[in-house]
Amino acid sequence: MEIGSTIPFTSIPWDDALFVLLAGTMLASGLAVVTMRDIIRCGLAMMVCFAALAGIYVMAGAPLVAAAQVLVYIGAISVLVLFAIMLTQTKAAPSRLVFQTQAAPAAAAAVILTVVVLLAIGSTTWGGGTERGNTDTVALAKALFADWILPFEVLGILLLAAVIGGVFLAKRERGGPTDPQR
Amino acid sequence: MIRVFLGTALTGAFVLGLGLIALAAGGSRSLNAYLTLSTLLFAIGMFGFLARRNAISMLMSIELMLNAVNLSIIAFASFAADNNAAFRAEGSVIALMVMGVAAGEATVGLSIIMAIYRNKKTPLVDEYDAMSQ
Repeated sequence: MEIGSTIPFTSIPWDDALFVLLAGTMLASGLAVVTMRDIIRCGLAMMVCFAALAGIYVMAGAPLVAAAQVLVYIGAISVLVLFAIMLTQTKAAPSRLVFQTQAAPAAAAAVILTVVVLLAIGSTTWGGGTERGNTDTVALAKALFADWILPFEVLGILLLAAVIGGVFLAKRERGGPTDPQR
Repeated sequence: MIRVFLGTALTGAFVLGLGLIALAAGGSRSLNAYLTLSTLLFAIGMFGFLARRNAISMLMSIELMLNAVNLSIIAFASFAADNNAAFRAEGSVIALMVMGVAAGEATVGLSIIMAIYRNKKTPLVDEYDAMSQ
């Protein structure tokens, strides 16, 4: 069965409808991340936000980045954040104040930043193409493992250093800086 | 029961209303819509970083900001001039690099928070006031 390029009985294209849904989900769950009181729900909303963003990457024509987003962010970083939340949660924490005293200036700064950047985007004529295209995965592999091989290796060393540093910092060492009995 | 229906309807309307911002900025076939989404996500992350009291919330806000920048990189690469495949691939490569650095940043940041939590017994950053006493 042939599926047309627009939703049946309307003139709305499928990709615009999907884009609106994904964008709305991303922004709403992003707002939930920064405003909700229960921090575990904030972590779960962050996973929803990253999933919607992965969908937007697919719409922008970067399917491999979307797959990496699902693996790295939803699969690894979110689980890490949820573990840290559960390790540091205290009984009194959710019932107390969520925001610091500078919340109102922070909101004003965020609104001003949004307005300024949106004005800049609106008044700029981008020199690029007007049609989005798909990333060729073979071209991506050639770029990653030929032209970008040195940054790739440096990134591997950085991740190794991050893992060793993370273990060292979180380790409970007798007589060390994080020993509670000291 | 009626509260569940009402809540679902209101949440759906809120999500659709936020999504219509993207449609108003040009829809899925224009660069401006992606850049607008990226700006809004970055501003949300900046607000969370400046306003939240919990150290882990601040880290989650940093992740939101990194994702916003990644979205703008992907959008710029996607709308390359003259269907330039090499340029498009390099945009994806840079986005993957940003993701790797973000993973390292999350690891080190969370372990620093765990080390501070072990000493201070609180994840709230405004109670880390040892320097001001």
